[in-house]
Amino acid sequence: MSGEGAGRFVSRGGIVVLVEESRAIPLVDVTAVLRTGSLADPPGREGLTRLAARMLRMGTAKRTAEQTEERLEALGATLSIDVSHGTIRFSASVIARSFPAFLALLGEMLAAPALRPKDLARVVREAVADLSQQRDNDRWLASRAFRTALFGDHPYGRSPLGTPESLPRAKKRDVAAHLAQHVSAPNLVLGFAGDVSTRELPALVERCFGGLPAHAVAPPALATPRRRPGRRLVVVDKPGRTQTQTFVGTIGSRLRDPDFHALLVANTAFGGTFSAPLVQEVRARRGYSYSASSRLGADREREAWSLYAHPSAENAGDCLALELGLIDRFVAKGPTATELRFAKSFLVKSHAFDLDTPSKRLEPRVEAEIHGLPSSFHERFVQRVAAVDLDTARAAIVRRLSSRDLTIAVVATAREVLPALRPLADEIAIVSFDSV
Amino acid sequence: MAPRRSPSRRLPALVSEHAFGPTLRVRRFRLDNGLSLLILRDPSAPIVSYHTWFRVGSRHETPGKTGQAHLLEHLMFIETKSLREGEFDRLLEAEGGESNAATWTDWTYYYENLPASSWKLAVQLEAGRMNDLVLSKARVASEKEVVESERRDRVEDDVDGAVSEKLYAAVFGRRHPYGWPTIGWMRDIESFRPSDCRDFYRAHYAPNHATIVVVGDVDEADALRTISAAYARFPAAEAPTPRPVRAPEPRGERRLEMRWPSPTEKLAIGWPAPPFASRDHAVLVVLTHVLSMGRSARLHVDLVREREIASEVRMSLAPFQQASLLDAWVSLREGHDADRALSALDRQIARLSREDVPVAELDKVKNGLELAFLGGLETVPGKADQIGFSETVVGDPSHAFVRLEEYRSVTPADVRRVAREVLSSRARTVIRVRRGRARA
Repeated sequence: MSGEGAGRFVSRGGIVVLVEESRAIPLVDVTAVLRTGSLADPPGREGLTRLAARMLRMGTAKRTAEQTEERLEALGATLSIDVSHGTIRFSASVIARSFPAFLALLGEMLAAPALRPKDLARVVREAVADLSQQRDNDRWLASRAFRTALFGDHPYGRSPLGTPESLPRAKKRDVAAHLAQHVSAPNLVLGFAGDVSTRELPALVERCFGGLPAHAVAPPALATPRRRPGRRLVVVDKPGRTQTQTFVGTIGSRLRDPDFHALLVANTAFGGTFSAPLVQEVRARRGYSYSASSRLGADREREAWSLYAHPSAENAGDCLALELGLIDRFVAKGPTATELRFAKSFLVKSHAFDLDTPSKRLEPRVEAEIHGLPSSFHERFVQRVAAVDLDTARAAIVRRLSSRDLTIAVVATAREVLPALRPLADEIAIVSFDSV
Repeated sequence: MAPRRSPSRRLPALVSEHAFGPTLRVRRFRLDNGLSLLILRDPSAPIVSYHTWFRVGSRHETPGKTGQAHLLEHLMFIETKSLREGEFDRLLEAEGGESNAATWTDWTYYYENLPASSWKLAVQLEAGRMNDLVLSKARVASEKEVVESERRDRVEDDVDGAVSEKLYAAVFGRRHPYGWPTIGWMRDIESFRPSDCRDFYRAHYAPNHATIVVVGDVDEADALRTISAAYARFPAAEAPTPRPVRAPEPRGERRLEMRWPSPTEKLAIGWPAPPFASRDHAVLVVLTHVLSMGRSARLHVDLVREREIASEVRMSLAPFQQASLLDAWVSLREGHDADRALSALDRQIARLSREDVPVAELDKVKNGLELAFLGGLETVPGKADQIGFSETVVGDPSHAFVRLEEYRSVTPADVRRVAREVLSSRARTVIRVRRGRARA
């Protein structure tokens, strides 16, 4: 590889490395993804993967946690570590002149974490405190309640954050075993975007990550989530709310489903743009909610399709009834020809904004690599969207979605909204905000 | 001053040129009606970011009419004499474009990001709403409800927003132009009539109160022709009387309390601070990073890592034109109270006022600021943001580069001096948020 542009190579140990080179700005964006996420948490040990990920920045054989943070920031780097159901993702930006030193530090963090017991105890206490702080965030509360109610016992219903009960159960040997099992070269994807020398990268990656073990990691078994029958409402009761936070939805799609792009176009037509019927009806015509949108999640297994809005307590019943009516019509009839044409045009033309920086060009390539998708999945995005017609969109909606089996989650002061919400659901549960 | 020739044929003359990094140039033009135009040709991606910055924000409002600038920002997306309701977004999204806007104390800006092949649509849309906005009773009524929803989301039901609002009002005073919230007090939002919106629009939305910023893959001559043809016919408006904004009067430490349904206590502290363009503002940015930016920052190490009494500590410095505010926010852990956090914070501030920050620590902060600066230049819209903000607040489209040099020049003595001058306990307002059901 040489010159500006895209590249890919595999290290001797089996790390897939993706590159988007650009010399425009002396900055490098770094992505390192382990194909292991909270799905690997053993039952009763929810949050273990996230704790293990946090321990990776708590010092190495050569440095304390404090020295590690000092070094990162002295290099002119930012680093965040996020855990989803399927991945541990390190996202970093670094000044180009510090890139080799940063990469050496990242390699050290992955290959030789110190795992000191006092640091683990500290990380557990921080994680429990974070959970407590999340209860100030009403949207997070609604999202969490929605996923728990929608997925039930399926691993997608569990939070990667863990629980106040499960987190303290983590011991050093659990974390060490978890990392030993999942941190390996073939389980790692590295991505570099920006001011990097593609010629020098293979040697640099070898030097920084050559010490990683080379064993294969099998993904955890994962069943297909099943819809629960009927319309189920969960109200998260929180005092003093002037408005509500609402999610409505059902089980949606896998990334690999052959009709994924058809469903993506259909969702865009329904609630993916400001001109879409959902936004026009909820916000523009009635002023119920500043935000209104629909989202099609997709993963290894079927993820959630959901609508979000935050109407006032007074309007919550009317707003949700309106949304349910829109879902009924969408599932029964699909988008109109005009709506579908508009959504396709938007997705095709706005694709320019998915590719306008090196890091944005890198991201879909990393995603494809993580999920084992062919590179054409993103490279042929425009053609796949353009090929969707009314029949394929409607068929995808009927095959994947349901207006009968829906989960509704609402954060509100319960007594103020229950009379208006009761007629909307077959089953109602009320939980306190400090138990979510 | 009436132009002798047809405005559409006369191209605006170059006023000045500004280096924007080692290879790029911002070129400034001005139309006869006073409209400023800044063009940065950047062919790094086939997109264009088109910004319109108006020199009007919430500080140009009056008590009883707070939130007017922000409500008008919402109404600008709805209807013009040539575009029916909803058409603005529909035309833009049909071309794959995105658009949004923001209002703060000193400015309001609107942007469109479009594929380069269709960027002129932004000119058509923005020119239309600069001069021909329709403000009907029905639309004003429904958009007020949307803004009320936004306020409930960001303030009424959000502890950060509610405390921030109370802090600004306490530090500046509720009748100070920086003391009321940009979104407006709820009762003011509820009381707006269409005539209020029309009056505000006529007074402030005119070519001589605006700057257009075009960044991306455009041909400069073509851009000048297109923009000139669209805007040159608009008349200039009388410039609103400048309203000097006083710094808040020093009046000793103030302590306030709130209650909130939260598992943990919070602590917020505000200090009056110098305006954005002053060098001391840059020194304060460095100072806040020493204290709170990143996991190795002093307050994070002390309160989060060592004492384990807080789950989050952050500081921010408002980038206002006339006077500013520095605030600190601490989210306590369960079972810990805000007084302990305040004592710890006092000790760190005293240390900063007494001892020089080691050069290595200062260099670390400067590297972080350089990284953030570079991050702002990664995208075409990011560059347009930098140019529009710098021009509107400082009058220099490439001021971001000046600011970076100011950061680099900050010395340990600067930090110690500014810590003593600004972070005085006698000048601060402290808000303690206790757990409980009662609201503010």
